[in-house]
Amino acid sequence: MQIRTLKDALSFGDLPAVERIGFILFITFCFIFPWIIKGGFAQAVMIQFLIFCLYGLGWNLIGGYGGQVALGQAKNVGMSAYTVALLMVRWNIPFWVCTPLGVIVATIESFVLGYFLFRLRGHYFAIATIAVSLVWQQLFINWNFIGGARGIELPLRETPNFIYMQFDSPVYYHYFAFVLVMIAILYMNWFRKSRLGYQLRAITANEDVAESLGINAHWVKVKAYCITGIFAGMGGAFYTVYYSYIDPFSVMHLELSIMIALMTMIGGAGSMWGPIIGAMILIPLDRYLGAWLGGRGILGVDFMIYALMVMIISAYEPRGIWGIIEKARRKR
Amino acid sequence: MLKVEKIEVRYSGVPVIHDVSFHVNGGELVSIVGANGSGKTTLLKTVAGTLHPAKGSIEFEDEDISTSSTVNIVRKGITYVPEERRIFGPLSVEENLKLGAYIVDDREEIEKNLDYVYSLFPILKARQKQLGETLSGGEQQMLATGRGLMSSPKLLMLDEPSLGLMPKLVDEMLEAVATLKEEGKTILLVEQKVREALEMADRGYVLQTGRTIYKGTGEELLETDIVKKAFLGL
Repeated sequence: MQIRTLKDALSFGDLPAVERIGFILFITFCFIFPWIIKGGFAQAVMIQFLIFCLYGLGWNLIGGYGGQVALGQAKNVGMSAYTVALLMVRWNIPFWVCTPLGVIVATIESFVLGYFLFRLRGHYFAIATIAVSLVWQQLFINWNFIGGARGIELPLRETPNFIYMQFDSPVYYHYFAFVLVMIAILYMNWFRKSRLGYQLRAITANEDVAESLGINAHWVKVKAYCITGIFAGMGGAFYTVYYSYIDPFSVMHLELSIMIALMTMIGGAGSMWGPIIGAMILIPLDRYLGAWLGGRGILGVDFMIYALMVMIISAYEPRGIWGIIEKARRKR
Repeated sequence: MLKVEKIEVRYSGVPVIHDVSFHVNGGELVSIVGANGSGKTTLLKTVAGTLHPAKGSIEFEDEDISTSSTVNIVRKGITYVPEERRIFGPLSVEENLKLGAYIVDDREEIEKNLDYVYSLFPILKARQKQLGETLSGGEQQMLATGRGLMSSPKLLMLDEPSLGLMPKLVDEMLEAVATLKEEGKTILLVEQKVREALEMADRGYVLQTGRTIYKGTGEELLETDIVKKAFLGL
């Protein structure tokens, strides 16, 4: 059983050659990136890209394969980030102990929320996740114990420290994030062939029929939502040590949730590579454009360009960029 | 095997099935016929657990299932093949079928059932890698029926398998149902092709505006005035 799982995760044999080559190029690019590009800003964007890949791959599970528009990823990111930050600041607990705890908190939140909210379907579910996100956001902004709107700052340590994940060069963070993304990709590769994967796709295609085959749709959705929470939790924990500073606006905000969902949809929800493509396009666009235009005092234009892209893609191909690629491939 | 006793089913409080009773014995093919809106599909949905009766009881193998969820009812061995061939469009034929075996844990049994479905509907084997939504109407109906068989159900409920098919395919579809009956499967069939449905049935029920107006063996029902006049146009 275990060997089979491992084989499923590691085998990309059923994908077309083009996709496999693309994947290898992606790995190579991520691997050599810190050696060829030395610019601090570029490296920061790259790491953000990797974090968003992780978020997107996780969201793709419930939002793409599961077809549930859950707009509350930021909650899970924030829960985990805050757990890690609090434990590290107040009790000086090592990162490697905090992270599992943070992920567990994020997962429990997903489970409880999913259990109740998945009684709702479609738009109502989306609205409910937004509502809950807003509640958490306000709560975290006004909660003094965790720093309120000021956020939490991790103490700087004098020497680079592996136990607390504090390094003097972004290269270490880059590789750590890269490993997380690789684990996520392997997981997704297993997932799309797994029982849970088929269950979710069946529910997306037709929930009633799926139930008539004995699939407990509610339970399957809750499970998928929890796994999404784990991905977000990992990202949140990493975010905390990478920036050494978190506040409710960076990790708990609804804007982050929407960004994750949009990114995946633009890339192509419900496909293996969609979230990565989405992140690859949107993150650099967002950061560079924001920095470039913001530096010239033109605020908000980057959001307009962003919105325009969303509109064009959703009008032309609702299945995102990956949908366009697949269409082109079929025509040939 | 299945015993439905005086059930009343309501949509938002309005009763649409009044006081209906019927039963299916093991190995039987029972047909429920009736005009549009007579409550045939509602009846099947109630047995499948999508709807629940407001009054009366439903027993399957001497166990009350009138309040069970769909999932539990499927696990007990009742499979419902919904009308209008609702298949999973974005999944391939084989994936559709394998999902039908969702409650089966035994790989060998799944393979056996898969072979069985392919032998019953050879066209599905030829199309096994194709996406469900690219199949023709008749093939989709075969796929939906085959998917229903994948879980080795004790009772198979077919909701209008001939709906919207061309005449040649209607015959093929109904022949497949007859084959299933000969192999000893227990089937509850809802059909608008009244003559065919009653000819091959062991017993039948005629439904009108949510009430059973006639019951009897297939031949008996074909002889009654109401069936002749209302459905066969004799």
